[in-house]
Amino acid sequence: MKTKNGSRTEVQEKIGVYVCHCGSNIAGTVDVADVARWAAHLPGVVVSRDYKFMCSSPGQELIGKDIKELGLTRVVVASCSPHLHEATFRGACERAGLNPYLFEMANIREQDSWVTSDKAEATKKAKALVAAAVSRVAHQQPLEALLVPIDANVLVVGGGIAGIQAALEIADSGNHVYLVEREPSIGGHMAQFDKTFPTLDCSACILTPKMVSAGNHKNITLLTWSEVEKVEGYVGNFTVTIRKKARFVDEALCTGCGVCQEKCPKKVIDDVFEAGLGYRKAIYTPFPQAVPNYPVIDHDNCTYFQKGTCKACEKFCATGAIKFDQVDEILTVKVGNIILATGYDLFDARKVSNYGYARLPNVFTSLEMERLTNASGPTGGKIVLRDGVTQPKSVGIIHCVGSRDRNYNNYCSVICCMQSLKFAHLVHERTGATVYNFYIDIRTPFKAYDEFYQKVLEEGTLFVRGKVAEVTDAARLPSEEGRLIIQAEDTLAGKQRRIPVDMVILSSALEARADSKEVAQKFGISCSADQWFIEKHPKLDPVATMTDGVFIAGTCTGPKDIPASVAQGAAAAARVLSIIGQGQIQIEAATAIVNEETCVGCQQCIASCPYQAIVYREDKGKAYVNEALCKGCGTCVGSCLPKCISLKHFTDEQLVAEMIGAMHTMKEFELIPMEVAA
Amino acid sequence: MTDRLTSLREAIEAVLPNVDGVLALRIGPGGISASHLFSKEHPEDLAKLALWPKEPVPDTLKIILRAHPDAKLAIVCRGCEERGIVEMFKHAQLNLDNVTLIGLQCEQAEAEFCRCAKPFTVHSKTTVGQSIKGVPDPVTEKIAAMSQPERLAFWKQEFEHCIKCYGCRTICPQCFCNVCTLEDEKWVETGRLPMANPSMYHLIRAMHMTAKCVACRECEETCPADIPLAVQFRLMARDVKELFNYEAGAVMDQKPPQLLVLEEGDYERSGLPH
Amino acid sequence: MTTEPKIIGFLCNWCSYRGADGAGMARLKYPPNIKIIRVPCSGRVSPELVLRTFREGADGVMVLGCHIGDCHYSTGNHRTAKRMPLLKKLLEYTGIDSERLYINWVSAAEGEKFASVIRDFTEKISTLPPFRETMK
Ligand code: SF4
Ligand code: SF4
Ligand code: SF4
Ligand code: FES
Repeated sequence: MKTKNGSRTEVQEKIGVYVCHCGSNIAGTVDVADVARWAAHLPGVVVSRDYKFMCSSPGQELIGKDIKELGLTRVVVASCSPHLHEATFRGACERAGLNPYLFEMANIREQDSWVTSDKAEATKKAKALVAAAVSRVAHQQPLEALLVPIDANVLVVGGGIAGIQAALEIADSGNHVYLVEREPSIGGHMAQFDKTFPTLDCSACILTPKMVSAGNHKNITLLTWSEVEKVEGYVGNFTVTIRKKARFVDEALCTGCGVCQEKCPKKVIDDVFEAGLGYRKAIYTPFPQAVPNYPVIDHDNCTYFQKGTCKACEKFCATGAIKFDQVDEILTVKVGNIILATGYDLFDARKVSNYGYARLPNVFTSLEMERLTNASGPTGGKIVLRDGVTQPKSVGIIHCVGSRDRNYNNYCSVICCMQSLKFAHLVHERTGATVYNFYIDIRTPFKAYDEFYQKVLEEGTLFVRGKVAEVTDAARLPSEEGRLIIQAEDTLAGKQRRIPVDMVILSSALEARADSKEVAQKFGISCSADQWFIEKHPKLDPVATMTDGVFIAGTCTGPKDIPASVAQGAAAAARVLSIIGQGQIQIEAATAIVNEETCVGCQQCIASCPYQAIVYREDKGKAYVNEALCKGCGTCVGSCLPKCISLKHFTDEQLVAEMIGAMHTMKEFELIPMEVAA
Repeated sequence: MTDRLTSLREAIEAVLPNVDGVLALRIGPGGISASHLFSKEHPEDLAKLALWPKEPVPDTLKIILRAHPDAKLAIVCRGCEERGIVEMFKHAQLNLDNVTLIGLQCEQAEAEFCRCAKPFTVHSKTTVGQSIKGVPDPVTEKIAAMSQPERLAFWKQEFEHCIKCYGCRTICPQCFCNVCTLEDEKWVETGRLPMANPSMYHLIRAMHMTAKCVACRECEETCPADIPLAVQFRLMARDVKELFNYEAGAVMDQKPPQLLVLEEGDYERSGLPH
Repeated sequence: MTTEPKIIGFLCNWCSYRGADGAGMARLKYPPNIKIIRVPCSGRVSPELVLRTFREGADGVMVLGCHIGDCHYSTGNHRTAKRMPLLKKLLEYTGIDSERLYINWVSAAEGEKFASVIRDFTEKISTLPPFRETMK
């Protein structure tokens, strides 16, 4: 074909056009027969038909038959949205031996017949859309989807319950897992809890067996006291750099006897595991059931490291496992998939200064409360005031601290209601104290939750509906003297109340990890405005991310309870196993490609790629697209001034041709020879 | 006080022993200046050292470095030329490891000739001459103050004069691509003069110069049709500064903002719907 | 005015194109002037492509993408949010009504918004003389 502007002659394509009636969905508004008749005269079109239901088997066979009998080299179907049936028709072409990328769809239903009232107008628009597709399809190129092999090893980041679950599922299937945990032991927040709602089983009792299996599993390499430093590569093929922080304890020699911790003279407030309520030593395992059971030396608090003398632990260690000269180790592992289960941080209740946390001694956070009620906690499970001896006679539990509050977090932290009810029950059971719950709404969905609420109500816990204004120790009446007064509007009674109590528990919000943005960047995924990791689809793909091969599970995607976290851990594992099972994975065929000959090496494309999919080859002075990393957004194309990078299946030629096709039929409603860009 | 030419000569003489050559201007027949590589082998050349009229030296530097990647060079550059060198460096067109910059500060008359807002260097360690403040650009201001129909009519008339010699593109130190979008039929219609309005050639070129134009005004100087080409580039540069706080040639390791993610406040300033 | 404006819309595949589909599914009516071209991401729309569309005689060009933060490609639309306002400025400096280039964000769930955005834009462009004529 001789184009108006250039002299390039092209191989004449044989294009087939199929206009669908979609029953009356299209045919009711668009004169489909007229469109098909008209389209037959477009350049390159050798056959043009209209048919009742193109997506039906006979419809698809029609295309296949024409491809085979008429030797069609391009196919256009004018019907519904490509989001509905592009895959269907691509399949029909492929089965008939035509590369699926030589197919194009004109959306004359969602974007024409359903939105246009006038039949003549709708028909006219359908012609423009068909002309655009015909014009575009002539420029389309066959593409082959790239297959990359999958490394069966998996990285799980975060050894809380979600991460442990994921690791176990994968390890049990016979694939190897590297389980990386920042703290000295796996277990996560769940290890700190006493009872789990609503069943009230002992958290440690149900968690420890899982921790032990993860620790002993032949297919799990446990890397505690370790952090991921760098991630390179793409699905099936990641190279991960991990920093194994110095423990100053030789794991091969340590027997976990604990004598070092006994002998260490340095007591340190345990801010992490005991939430600041208890002590540990400078050499410590966070809790007795820790997995692995090797201690770590807290460098900053160790007398030897700070003052140069002590080494008590070394003297008493029978196996000589203490190694003061140990240094951080850098490991590189290769994995095919990654599951992030990095958990949450607790909202810092000090921010709500009117609740007095850290100022008024008997205001506790929920995590402190977990430790107080825990039989292996600092008080042996006794619920007492900050003085360590006095049992409270009345306790106020405040819900939604830092949640559902415009000043902090808009979202609901999901677990606080149930957690508060659990505390109410435990306080009632162990101290007989009067318990007040201050709530905005009580949210108890899920199995047996509301029944638990009913039970707590029956136990006599008092509920005040209203947001607490303040917690204060400034008494106004003699009866308030020496107590904490909770001031709140009781919105059901419609009046202000001042309730004196001995103890206040703040049900603090769950927040995304303080460093979640950095972590997201490291793994190439994104965070929401609240910093939670974003799912590929919030409903239909909740554990996948936009980055192939990187999955998310548990509270790192948003607040959730233990069953949901476990389910997500298992779901992420299932997703990974299905990829491993395929052995190889197909990656986007419509990727960007650099024209090596013309690229000037200015690297503008590299700066603009959201996925770091383009690298600069110093030796050649050219840019190069890593097809496995490229997601096909085309952002780079707009950044390359000389247009040396193009996006396959969305090339400039194709888009310009499509636009011209649409424009020319828009201009004059008659057949115009297509003037297509050279 | 020594004059600029003498000071510059001294500055060149001072670096000459340490480098393979110093790129500066030499006066030729008919008072035309051209870039010249001064070397220690030919000290007599320095007698012909020149300051003005300015010539686009960054381009010459690039050509020499392409041929002799390991050469140790010094270059005499004015503010705009220094910015040009920085931009070329940022676009990986120049390796500055072995290049010494000798900054030449422009004088009032020169700055006024160029309507230059920044007639001084900022990166060069050695400088010659007194740095002066920028001067206003009345041409740009006049066009910016026009009403929309006036502006349309103005540019239509100006662009009608364009003979598509591609001179403005060719002389531009920032036009270093191997292939040029302006020569691609897909974007710019060929074989038609005067070109259709609006001129794709000038619109696309202005888009390409956004966050890239260093305001050297070489294009205007070279244009046989005397089109005030720098005006649009300067207006765009003003926006880039206001919207994204970016100036071409100012900071060595800054990427053009339109390639990067939105920063705090960018979106609010962009004028896009919320 | 009785002119029939010619409008081309470049819509990202993931949000705006689905939003347009949504308008269809809800049978919302809007003027037929717009012809939609599907691009993977609004970041794919280069200034050259927009300019070429005007050169073909479009009276208005729309670039619609996911809301900032929702781009299927994470930050593809950040580039749109920078390039397109600059292109609008350039049109303005050349004496072209920059309202002929329209940028907005329409999510897959915003069929209603899509329809109203199209109605408003078509109406707005209808009040302007045909682009080609203004260039004569
Ligand atoms: S198409 Fe998108 S993901 Fe691919 S290289 Fe270009 S900018 Fe990167
Ligand atoms: S922007 Fe274009 S010319 Fe520059 S490095 Fe990338 S592909 Fe090459
Ligand atoms: S130098 Fe002047 S005449 Fe030549 S292409 Fe540029 S604007 Fe047109
Ligand atoms: S995918 Fe919609 S704007 Fe990027």
